[in-house]
Amino acid sequence: MMMRGARAQGALGADELTRGYTIAGGGYDELVDGAGGIRPHWQSFLSELAALDEPTRSLRSEQLNARVRETGIAHDLFSDPASAAQPWRVDLVPLLIAPEEWRRLERALVQRARLFERMLTDLYGPQRLLASGAIPHALIFSDPSYLRPCHGLIPAGGFLQFFAADLARGRDGCWRVIDTHAETPAGLGYALANRMVHSHVAGGIFGSLKALRLAPFFQQLQAALARRAGRADPTIALLSPGPRHNDFFSHAYLARYLGMLLVEGSDLRAAGAELSLKTLHGLMPIDLIVRCTAGAAADPLELDATAFSGPVGLLQPVRKYPDLLANALGSALAENRGLSAYLPNLAERLLGEELLIPDGRRWWLGEESNRRHVFANLDCMVIRPAHEGTSRPGRAIAGIEVSRLSETERAALLGEIEMRGATLVAEEKIGFGTTPSLGAAGLVAKPYAVRMFLAATAHGFLSLPGGLAMTVDPDLTVALSAPEAEARDVWVLSDQAPPPHISLWRPTIAAAKVQRTLNDLPSRAADNLFWLGRYIERADWTLRVLRTCLSRLQEDSAPRQLRASRTALEILLSQGEGTIPHALQPTDTGLIEELARGLMVTAHWHYSLPRTLDNIHRLAGLTRDRLSLEAWRTLNEFYANRRWCADALPLGIGDSLLLIDDGLRVLAAFHGLTHENMTRGFGWTFLDMGRRLSRARNLAELLRGLFGKIKPSEEENACLLFALELADSFITYRTRYRLAPMLPLVLDVLLSDESNPRSIAFQLASLARHIDMLPHSGQGGERTEEQRMALALLAEMRLADVEGLAGSGADGTRGGLMGLFDRQVAALPALADLLARRYFNVLEKRAKWVRARSRVTE
Amino acid sequence: MILDVSHRTRYAYAKPVLQSQHLLYLVPTRTAHQSILRHSLLIEPAPSLTVARTDYFGNDAAILAIEEEHCELVIHARSRVEVKRPELALSAPSTAWDEVAAKARTGDGTLDIAVLQFVSASRHTPFVREAIDYALPSFGARRPILDATLELTRRIYADFTFDRAATDISTPVSHVLEVRRGVCQDFAHLALTCLRGLGLPARYVSGYLLTHPPPGMDKLKGADASHAWISLWVPQIGWVDFDPTNGLMPKDEHVTLAYGRDYNDVSPISGVLLGGGRQVMEVAVDVTIGQ
Repeated sequence: MMMRGARAQGALGADELTRGYTIAGGGYDELVDGAGGIRPHWQSFLSELAALDEPTRSLRSEQLNARVRETGIAHDLFSDPASAAQPWRVDLVPLLIAPEEWRRLERALVQRARLFERMLTDLYGPQRLLASGAIPHALIFSDPSYLRPCHGLIPAGGFLQFFAADLARGRDGCWRVIDTHAETPAGLGYALANRMVHSHVAGGIFGSLKALRLAPFFQQLQAALARRAGRADPTIALLSPGPRHNDFFSHAYLARYLGMLLVEGSDLRAAGAELSLKTLHGLMPIDLIVRCTAGAAADPLELDATAFSGPVGLLQPVRKYPDLLANALGSALAENRGLSAYLPNLAERLLGEELLIPDGRRWWLGEESNRRHVFANLDCMVIRPAHEGTSRPGRAIAGIEVSRLSETERAALLGEIEMRGATLVAEEKIGFGTTPSLGAAGLVAKPYAVRMFLAATAHGFLSLPGGLAMTVDPDLTVALSAPEAEARDVWVLSDQAPPPHISLWRPTIAAAKVQRTLNDLPSRAADNLFWLGRYIERADWTLRVLRTCLSRLQEDSAPRQLRASRTALEILLSQGEGTIPHALQPTDTGLIEELARGLMVTAHWHYSLPRTLDNIHRLAGLTRDRLSLEAWRTLNEFYANRRWCADALPLGIGDSLLLIDDGLRVLAAFHGLTHENMTRGFGWTFLDMGRRLSRARNLAELLRGLFGKIKPSEEENACLLFALELADSFITYRTRYRLAPMLPLVLDVLLSDESNPRSIAFQLASLARHIDMLPHSGQGGERTEEQRMALALLAEMRLADVEGLAGSGADGTRGGLMGLFDRQVAALPALADLLARRYFNVLEKRAKWVRARSRVTE
Repeated sequence: MILDVSHRTRYAYAKPVLQSQHLLYLVPTRTAHQSILRHSLLIEPAPSLTVARTDYFGNDAAILAIEEEHCELVIHARSRVEVKRPELALSAPSTAWDEVAAKARTGDGTLDIAVLQFVSASRHTPFVREAIDYALPSFGARRPILDATLELTRRIYADFTFDRAATDISTPVSHVLEVRRGVCQDFAHLALTCLRGLGLPARYVSGYLLTHPPPGMDKLKGADASHAWISLWVPQIGWVDFDPTNGLMPKDEHVTLAYGRDYNDVSPISGVLLGGGRQVMEVAVDVTIGQ
């Protein structure tokens, strides 16, 4: 094995970075040429990097990956938040592509996209390629992604709106395509997000290198989508399988960047030839779907009966408008790995051109002569499915390496090839080129593969001047398979003057036309935002209760003064848990500490902090296309920062208080961001209604618990102070009354004072206002049930006689006060239920789509 | 022969179905050996939408949407067809099966894509070694293809027991082979698995069969059922049907509804329902000789 060191020539101070740079095996390296010299297009980057000292470089790397976590690229929504492994890292050093190299790649990729477009048009049309044997019929007819019900549906705008290819340089330095992605945008959102986070910390270097920006590509894409939609002001939705899909981050990110609605199959309805979105207002027509779901899973009626990724009956509107979906249904056929060997001939035949970049060395096992070759050379082969269908970069299946199999496994594999060869390919390892990565002691060469993206535009296919490179293990894989998810940005260097900077985050007037209107909120999104509001308020309340209780413990207050704390905690714990465990019965102090601790760490308690934060995280993920990036990043703090993991929560009261204060600050920042930055559409309305409902109920329950029964005056005083503090209304009270707390006045501030944003009346007034504005609310005389209910609750607060309520009955309870709060506590959930039934997709929540078919039995 | 078919399916749902969409393959095929004299389709409750289309395999399909909440659905198809399958002289020489398989494999241009597509495996007919081993004794080298396939059909009839309880829609062919039991679609899938496993183009046929009551007894109303058999491509002749459930080659008593790769392509009634809960299905099929 040959080892080669690198000499940095001409790069000022770069010696230190490249001193330890060695390339094992003598393969092709991006940074260093065969003679050990630094390739010219890396010189400026190296100088820039060398200008930073080691601590600064480490700091930048850390900042970069902190940004990755905050942006949420790193995690799967439903992975374990406590897991320390971070499944997505971005290298500070990008992959650099020289201008002439890029032009070559671009030509080759565009050629491929054109080739596959022609091929699909034939296979879903006249099938001449099959009749002539240019493609073996069994290769196509064995591929489950050949959607027969879609035969004859040829979109005028092409099958491939999106196209991507995974490339690797073999040891010989030649590019080869190792996989094709023709089904979905294939993780385009990751490439975009990588660039965003990377330029956040390396923007300066990027600027000085004259690398090409991504925004012009996305502008062209946006224009192409609008044209495909066929209307001046189209409604475009990105159809995702939902947050459980491992590509969901990319879907949400792309939808947000391009100003598309993010929808799931159940949000859509196909009725006859029309496709609509279910919104708060009713059905809204959709002009174009950017499809991020498998084609076969798009219609359970005519396609895969077990998959519900699209609306039932989707094929009907597609038959009328074959351009309705991008990519068109059936496009995945182009991903079949068995096609590799036939591509040169197809390029000749369909384009009259020579194939510019070939696929990796691959044999389709449905062909007898291929099987013979493969059986004779089994030990250097990797066996893989001909059709795989994963789109997340780095998640390709590594394949079965025959040389590692036992005798029995080998025999089984041979049998499998005999029977199911048409669905398998064998592949030779071609090795991977290497590219520099920033290690602790300078640059290190790492084997990599890269995904490049294309889009169809008015001027033909356009390639993204960037991409997504990932570190791969050449011993384990022949594909872009990177379980470690070490990613790097791809910079395409330019020898021309850079165009002016544009970003779609601030769209031009022309592009703004594709932005969503305010009234298109899908029912499901309204539902999720409503619950997000409720959980955020629950977290806020829980943290406040904990803070008030723990700070009293810390002050070592007298037991009587702690009664209020105990009551507040017990109310929280009685939600769902039933009763407090009997084991917890010693002194008040011990019990309170125990309960507070339990609330902080016990994941299965209904109102515990971990559970609430989990729910916030889940709902924020589900609604992230509705939240601003800052708002999302703010909430993600609870997830991304290990301090909030259940096992990392502090034990001491002092540390707990500091953490609680931080948590309240995060929530306050979120409130501020939504209040200041979120458009007052119905999304905001539902978020705020959730919050108001919870806040009113929490306060009503607390006040009922604290003041329902007459208590000794010292204890009642403590309760009054406690309530004021918890409701953040102490200062309001003091400035207004300049008196020691008295129950009637405290009730006035916390119940009826509509100018106090923490009072119950304030919550109810906001709720009533929101409800009046909702789509189905009656105007004037005719009010809906929920309108009447909200008004009744508000009226009761407005009419409350605080003096009378504070007075005591003969039995030592305040019957009037209890009754008032009982009614509120019961009515608020009922109101929530009414709203849910009217506005959310309860029809489909209540009932499930099921597949039914008859059996033939004669 | 003129045959009248009445095919009535009734679904009763435990909970209301809020919406439903259905895909039907209930219109008999129009071919050289079958013509439709009359056809009607009655659906209750009335669909808000009915679309008729010709599918990839050339079958008449109907797509319907019901938007009305319902607890019961009735689909009643009635057809009068004339069946006149040509009589095949079995003694006539036919191409050797291995020659057909070789043509199908190489795709030498003499076989149409419409035929070749039926060589590949499908969801319900995956290639399994056991099926090929089961078929091989009937497929000696150079044996005429009609002769070999009829023997396979008769062997399945002899070796397998008709048993409604032994299998369901999702039972794989390998299990059917193991227990040697099943219903007509299992036997059709088995025959297809054998023939395609040998490299021969064969397709699934969905339809009905005229049944005869035991001697001296009246035919019971609604006692028939939908039926399934297979069709094999034979050079110079075309598609030739075989019925492994009854061990014979259909003549005038088999009414064809649709052709596909397997049951999945041409299931007579399939649907997707919102709601419904548990459902009970009653099927009544009557095939009678037209007066």
